[in-house]
Order: sequence, then C-alpha cells, then structure tokens
Amino acid sequence: MKVMHQRRLLVCIGLLFISMGFTVANAQGFQVNFQGQKQQGMGCAGSGLIQDASTLFFNPAGASFVSTSQVNVATTPIFANVMYVDSATNEMYRTENPVGTPLNFYALVKPKRIRRLAYGLSVTTPFGSTVQYEPGWIGRFAITRLSMKVFHIQPTASFKITDNISIGAGFVFSPGSVNLQKDLPVQFNDGTFGHAEISGAAMGYGYNLGVYYNPGGFLSAGLSYRSGINMSVSDGQVDFTVPEGLAPNFPNGTLSASLALPSVTTLGLNIKPNASWNIVADINYVGWNTYDTLAFDYATNTSSLVDTKSPRMYKNIFAFRGGIQYAVFDKDKVLNVRLGGGFGFSPVPTGYLTPETPDGNRAYFTSGISYEFNKHFSFDASIYATKITRADTNLETQLSGTFTTIAWAPGIGINYNW
Amino acid sequence: MKRQYLYILFLLPLLLACKPKAPTHVVDAGTADFTKFIAIGDGHTAGYMDDGLSLDGQKNSLGAMIQQQLMMAGAPAIEMPWMSDQNIGLSLNGLSRLILGYKTDCQGISSLSPVRVSLQGETSALTSSAYNPSKKYSNFGVPGVRMIDMVSTAFGNINLPQHNPFFARMSKDQFNLPGSGNYSSVQENIFDGGYPTFCSIYLGIEDVLPYARSGATQHPMSPLAGFPGVGFEESLTQLCEQLYGQNVNAVIATIPNISDWPFFNTIPYNGLTLDAEKAASLNQIYNPIGISFVVGANPFMVADPNAGMFGVRPAVPGEKILLTAPLDSVKCNQMGSIFPFRNEFVLTTDELATIQLRIDEFNAVIRQKATSYGFALVETGDFYDKLTTGFAYNGATLSAKFVSGGAFSLDGIHLNPRGNALLANEFIKAINKKFSAKIPLINALNYNAILFP
Repeated sequence: MKVMHQRRLLVCIGLLFISMGFTVANAQGFQVNFQGQKQQGMGCAGSGLIQDASTLFFNPAGASFVSTSQVNVATTPIFANVMYVDSATNEMYRTENPVGTPLNFYALVKPKRIRRLAYGLSVTTPFGSTVQYEPGWIGRFAITRLSMKVFHIQPTASFKITDNISIGAGFVFSPGSVNLQKDLPVQFNDGTFGHAEISGAAMGYGYNLGVYYNPGGFLSAGLSYRSGINMSVSDGQVDFTVPEGLAPNFPNGTLSASLALPSVTTLGLNIKPNASWNIVADINYVGWNTYDTLAFDYATNTSSLVDTKSPRMYKNIFAFRGGIQYAVFDKDKVLNVRLGGGFGFSPVPTGYLTPETPDGNRAYFTSGISYEFNKHFSFDASIYATKITRADTNLETQLSGTFTTIAWAPGIGINYNW
Repeated sequence: MKRQYLYILFLLPLLLACKPKAPTHVVDAGTADFTKFIAIGDGHTAGYMDDGLSLDGQKNSLGAMIQQQLMMAGAPAIEMPWMSDQNIGLSLNGLSRLILGYKTDCQGISSLSPVRVSLQGETSALTSSAYNPSKKYSNFGVPGVRMIDMVSTAFGNINLPQHNPFFARMSKDQFNLPGSGNYSSVQENIFDGGYPTFCSIYLGIEDVLPYARSGATQHPMSPLAGFPGVGFEESLTQLCEQLYGQNVNAVIATIPNISDWPFFNTIPYNGLTLDAEKAASLNQIYNPIGISFVVGANPFMVADPNAGMFGVRPAVPGEKILLTAPLDSVKCNQMGSIFPFRNEFVLTTDELATIQLRIDEFNAVIRQKATSYGFALVETGDFYDKLTTGFAYNGATLSAKFVSGGAFSLDGIHLNPRGNALLANEFIKAINKKFSAKIPLINALNYNAILFP
C-alpha cells in the first residue's frame, strides 16, 4: 500500500515538471511567493506557524517541530494578464502569457533515534517569470518574450536546541534557465523586423538559515534568512534573424550574463488564541538592491552589436503579509479554512519600470482550505488574486504608459505523513 | 459556523475580474475645426522621400500622417494626387526612387548602397493630369515649392522652363495649352472651391535647401524682403492674411537647421584615409606648398580660389562634404586628394554661416506670424536637434545618421515614413497645446524605416 502511494506521488511530481514555467505578477519583482498552500491561504504568511514540510523553505528551523515525516507536493497555476496602455498614442496591448506552474516538492524525515533532529530536501521555484506580449506590440524592441526559470534544490537540517527553540540551515543549489526575445529595429525588404533571442542555462549557490521559537502556547515566532544568489550564465547563446545585408553586423554567438537574486529576511509571528484559531503575520525584507544592472556581454562585438548594460536600480523593500486560519474538528478529520492578504512595495524605482517585470506596489487577497482525510493523507487548496496598476516612463527605452496586471493563482497540494 | 459558509469564504478572491478592462479615451478637436483640413508644404508634406515621389511615400507623408490623426477629430479622408501603385517613384530630375541595394565600386568591392529602383522614374505622371474637379485635395504638398512660389502663376505653367511638374499635374489648369488661358498659383488652387477650416503650413525649407545642396554655387536663397512672390516675409504675410481673413486656424512650422541632415554629414571632412605609400606620394606633391599628409585620417583637399596660388587647401573641421561627392572617384581617381573637391561638393564654414543666418531670419518671421495670427507653432529645430543627438523611442534608438539612424530616407534630406510619423507627432503636440485639443500621437514604430536586402 505504501509503495503504491509513493509511486503515485512520483507520477504526480513528474507531471508537474513537464509544464514548468512561471508568470509574472505573483510577487515583487520576479519573486514567486507560492511555496506552501497553507501559507498561500493566509496571505503567503506563516513563517511563525509550522504546519507541514514547507517550513524547509519558509524557515528551516521549523523542520524539527514538524511532528511526522512527510512528503508534500503542490502546484499553483498562475493566470496573469497584463495590459499596457501607451500614454502618447492610447494604443492598448495585452500579454499572451502561458499559464505559469510554480511547483514545490518537500520531503522531510524525522529520524526515530534522534527526535530533536529533522532533515529534508526541498525543490522550489521562488523566482521566475514568463511574460509574452502580443505580436507587434509597441514595446517589441524592448522585449517580446521573457522566460526565466529558477529552481532551488535545498538539502536542509534542523535541530531542536531546547524543547522550545530550534535552528536550521540549508544549502541551496540553484540551477536555472533564461530565454529572452525581442524584435530589432532593422527591417527586411517586406517590412518585417529583425529578431534576437538570447538563451542560456544558469547556476547559482546560496543558503537558508533560520531560528524558531515555540513555547507551545499563545505565541510562536520564527526568523529566517535566505541568502542572495548570483545566477550566472556563462555559456549563453544569442541568435539573430536579420536581413542578409546586415548579417555581418549581427553575428550569432555566445554571451555571458548574470542575474542577482535578492536575499530575503523574514520575521514571522503566530498567535493562537485557542485550538481553532491562528492569526499569522510575516514581515519580509527583500534585498533587491543587488539587482542594479542587467548586462549582456557578447563574445563577438560589432558596430551594431555592443555589450549592453541596462540599469535596473532595484531597491530593497518590505512586504507585509498576514492571515487567519480557522479549524473545524470532526472526529479525527480536520477542516481548515483560511483568509489572508498582504501588501508589498515595489522594488522598481520610478523611471526603471520595464515590460519584462511590470511591477508595482501591490495589495493581494488569498483564501485557502485544507482537509485531513486521515492521519496519513491531507489535501490543501488556495486561491490568490491581485491587481496591480503602475504608470511610468522608462528612462532607458522611453516606453511611457500604464501597466495593469490581474493575476489569479489557484493552488492545490497533497501531503503524505508517516 | 456552518461549513457552507466556510466554503463561500474560500471562494471570496474570485470576485476580481479576469482581465484588465481597456480604458476609453476621449479624442477632442478642442477649439479647432478640422472638417476642412489642408496640408500645405513642400516635399516633406507631399511624401517625397528616397529622392522620389511615390505612392508609398505619399501615404506616409508628413501631411498624410498629420491628417490621419486629425481624422479622429473630424478631418476628412486624405485626398492626394496619387502616384501609381508600381511605386517606381519620380525624382525632381526624372529618376526613380532610391532603395538600399548592393553596388560594386571601382575597386570591385560590393557593398550596401542606395541604388535607383529602376532605370527610369515614373515619368508618365508628368504627362497625365491628376486633377479631379469632384475631389478637392486635402494635401497641397508640392516637392520643391518655396514660400515665394505660393502666389506664382509661372509655377504651374508647363510652357515655362521654371515650372514645377509636381504642381502642374495637380493644378486645376490641367496642362492648359499655350495661349489657352491663364495659369493659377498654388495658393489659388488651395482656396479654389472654398476655404479650409484648418491648415498645416510647413514651407521655407526649399527657399534655402537648393542653395545648400549645390554647395552654395547655384539656386540663390530667397530674399527676406520684397513683394509677395519675391520676398519671404511678404509672401508669408500674404498667405496668413488670406487665412486669417477667413477665420482659418493653422499650425505652422519653423525651418530646421538643414546642415544637420545626413546629406551634409555622412562624409566627414577628414575622410581621406591613407596608407604609408599614398601619404608619401601626396606629401611629394603637396609638401612644397606647405601641406602634409599622415598615415590614417586626413582632411580632404578642397578647391578654394582664395587659398594661395594653387587654389587648393585641406578641409577644416566644421566644413561639410556633400553626399553628392563622387566616392568612386575618391577611391580610384584621387578625387579629394590630388584633385580637390570642387566647390559644388563642399559647404565652407562661411557658406554655412550665411545659410544659417538666412534660416534664422526666416524663422523669426515665422514665429512672429504664428504669434500675431494665433497659429500653433512647431519648432522643427528642436525635433531635428534631438535627432542629431539621437534618442530612444519605445525601445528603439533613432538618430540623424545616414541609413543606420532610422529616421531619414536614402536621400539624406527627407525623412522616411517613421521619421515623418515622429515629426507629425510634433505637429499634433503643438495643435493639442494651442487649441486645447486631445488628439493621440502616432506610434512611429508602425511605419517603415530603411528596408534592407
């Protein structure tokens, strides 16, 4: 029976991997804050309330407070629609984003002999973006499509120093890939535009640290720090589609680039007035200021193809998240219902808004539900919704208009405990 | 709490709409009335580009671009003396338009270069009248027309050598036979059958440009003073009075600094590149008169009657070598070195200053008229200055560079469709400001720049 379950799980994980690709519009910058269904139900907060193996990501110290070994798999398809209205021409364009599918997989093991220890492995997608604009859109020379995928593979260990306090640490392997496309303002004889596609695999390394305090009563709290990660593309490829007469100016070839993922510091609190209620709040401090430039260094330069350094000038930001959870107990079955929301400041300063990340200050709302069928199996679901509006004139491209984004993200997850 | 309620709570976020709703925009003519719009001007307004007038050029002309936007606020459909859809084009010299193609130079090296699309221009346009009494033109752009030509009855008279063929084919006179009647001026044609309600006026470039294009050797610039038809100021006053008297509103544009255009800036004054052997042989010739050459970049040699007994000297920074300079002769026949560039290929700093002074005088008049008649004013100089520096536009970079700049056509003088769209936006901005109108600008990236083989 147990073998059966595990096999099914593996199939599920496999299916989820097939359709990878995430969309913008789920968090600040190109951060994706969908790493746990229970947290997603409460405004993506919950670093202070340890309920399942997703703590491996949120706060590695919490792992030793999870009562059982468990496997947790979840996905959150993102439906994001961006509309751009150009301020000079009134022209309106939309994105044709594919459905994004952030994934998380957690395996947490509690060794029988050392009850204070827990270790585990997580595979998450905390950064990423796929944004694709409709053909011929006004910003086509800035970008037509960006697909960026980052996986965090994190082996983690957590240890209870006392009955109330634990620490945890994880090492993060961060493979990723990027594909960026745009049209070039050079025209074939039939009037069609040239095109450039940059693609490459990236790799980065980081770590995740945490402290968790839970005296088992009214209050529990956690503090975690995920390091920044420098994703470097060392062997990228650039392909140009240009008229024959211009081919010598745009040689296909290799390039290198790097992208700095920000550090995230999180303080999480959980207040538990009684057995049925939990009130959670998280404060995130995201170190976006490492993302000051997006640079591409082409192996072969020509008069038309020079290395580019586009200023991004992101700034560090705070995000506030919170939610409530209400539990209904029915014999050994438990139903949890959650509501939450949050507010995050945009790391993108005025003058630096780009269509690749049409970010803005955002408020969002979430809801969630969980059901424990028995002591082994439980099921989670969540819904996230947000609307963001941001007007800006980009200093580099002079693209001037208003981006409006509506994003939906209904998520589901399953847990198996033993 | 009942479980049903809990499930409803879970579905709460679904209250948000799925897609952002498209906003509605108000387009408004403000205090202006565009119902009878006419664009008045020269080749820019007509759509002359790539050294020719063609159907594609007309459709993408400055006049058509402005009118197309005003059509959202009541302007009528565009009526022009259309050329044929073969798009061969017709230059002022009877040649076809230029396209970018491959050209093999005197050394047998093939490279991208402007070439004529056909052996002959669309000369049939010169012998068939495009006038249609039932359709009034909304675009009186006439390639080559000067401010002082506007009231000239000789301008459309095909019996006179100085007539303008582009005007003759659209004039209501329809190629009158010799002695069969009087010929009418451009202005008479514009006002024939009723006054417009709104005009765009972009005149004056041709009053100075032919002089500059000839290296200041031919086609004297129009004088500032003199009667209508002779002097620039009186000619403009006469046009403005006519419009003002009929309550016609207008947008009028100043004359840009034409010497910033690629025609005057593509060949650098020091474009004579020499290797050691060539430098040595030139030094043998020129050292005796105190001129020496180095390996690398050197100033071209130009003819100058005031330059000593040989009448030759090196070009100096700031001087312009024109795009008409024969580059094949430079490469293979020592033009610009042993044989100096003739005056017709060079604008000296003195000549440039004379031209600039005249432009400044004309512009002072244009600005003064705009103020006194209440017309919207477009400072084209600001636009061309921006282009000379280069600027980003919706992710693309545009500049005044020949071919690669993406705004000028292959003649280095007239804008290409994208450039016209950008300049038309300056007209729209001026109209919006002066007449409190709300007319959206053009997305210039929807229009072609330079097409590459």
